[in-house]
Amino acid sequence: MAVSMQDVKRRIKSVTSMEHITNAMKLVSAAKLRRAKATFEQTNKQLHFITDTIGEIFTSTTNIPEEYLEGNREIKNTCYIILTSSKGLCGGFNSNVIRKAEEAMRVRKSVPKIVAVGSKGRDYFAKEGIEIIGDYEDPPETISFLATQQLSRPIIKMYEDGEIDEVVLVYTAYLSTIDQQATAIRMLPFQPEKNANVMMHDKDIEYGPSMEAVFNYLVPKYVETMVYNAIVESATCEHAARRMAMENATDNARDMLQELSLNYNRARQAAITNQLIEIVSGSEAQK
Amino acid sequence: MAKSFKLSVITPSKIFYEGDVELLVVPTLEGEEGFMANHSWATKLLNVGEMAVQEAGKSDFRIASIAGGFIDVKDSVILYADHAEWAEEIDKQRAQKDKEFAEEWLSKNKGEKDEYSVRRAEVALKKAISRLNVANGGRRGI
Repeated sequence: MAVSMQDVKRRIKSVTSMEHITNAMKLVSAAKLRRAKATFEQTNKQLHFITDTIGEIFTSTTNIPEEYLEGNREIKNTCYIILTSSKGLCGGFNSNVIRKAEEAMRVRKSVPKIVAVGSKGRDYFAKEGIEIIGDYEDPPETISFLATQQLSRPIIKMYEDGEIDEVVLVYTAYLSTIDQQATAIRMLPFQPEKNANVMMHDKDIEYGPSMEAVFNYLVPKYVETMVYNAIVESATCEHAARRMAMENATDNARDMLQELSLNYNRARQAAITNQLIEIVSGSEAQK
Repeated sequence: MAKSFKLSVITPSKIFYEGDVELLVVPTLEGEEGFMANHSWATKLLNVGEMAVQEAGKSDFRIASIAGGFIDVKDSVILYADHAEWAEEIDKQRAQKDKEFAEEWLSKNKGEKDEYSVRRAEVALKKAISRLNVANGGRRGI
């Protein structure tokens, strides 16, 4: 038996402490996940109210200012809002988002510009040489609505000024605790959905003070709430992904420990057998 | 008894109010406006100010201070406000302090170039004043 007891013992020790760490992290992210999920479910419920209302207003009228509608300008610059985490150890969470963003960029072929929430995405795309026009780095689950406004306002301004022609949001959608999916959706310009769910009505709608004012207010609001909702959702996914990753790591560590302790016992037995042979053959020689 | 309609008031942090009301009075950008059931469809922007609702079957009003947003009037009404507070929930001392703080800031930074901060301070002042008014019973003196 080539492995020495000393070596195996050392490995057991390191794997044990690793297991402690991953297990603790698993518990921490499970607790954080629970909290984030509660926030997410609550905000999701009411923000859907807002986005649905705004979406309905957009689809049910025919007189939206043209600049916000699809097909009114050539898309040269696309702004991607990319939501990743600022911390690692969360499995494929960040790489999934990054892959999705790259895929969206390949399809579009326009010049990409990036607003990064979370340092992982920012660092990656900065290395790729893509222009970063805005970022936010603090833990996403504590983001305030005000911070979202400050993040989205420059984007809307640039869109209105024609510096960017399209806004795409890349984030992780929460399907369940064990299933999350990286998604890319286009926020601006709007694609009016002509589906059956939205009833077209012929009622006149009163706008106050004027239709332009209403749309100039609603468009930023729409973007802000979408971004806010996505950030909260993505934070929930981050914790879920980290919990999964840490659970797998803990399981692996336990499997490894089992194997190592088997090896250790074998090495120990081999050593005892060796010693016995030595003693017996020693006393045999004395006769 | 007047006919009632469903009203939902939403803020970024919570669903502020849901229920059947007979009359809703809100400060739109064009001035105070009242909505009753079967109002023609409308989408209007709101100012900082006082919202009053008369719940179905009641004669008195509940008032709240709201800060900007929009109202979407269809068969039911959805009101979105950046911030909303019932009269009885308002901390008068804090509102007073906010008001003084905003006033002080504005007088100190009179020639300020940064338009955005000035506007923010003005809105903060308006909000504080509206909260104080509402806490003191509002215009109707309820």
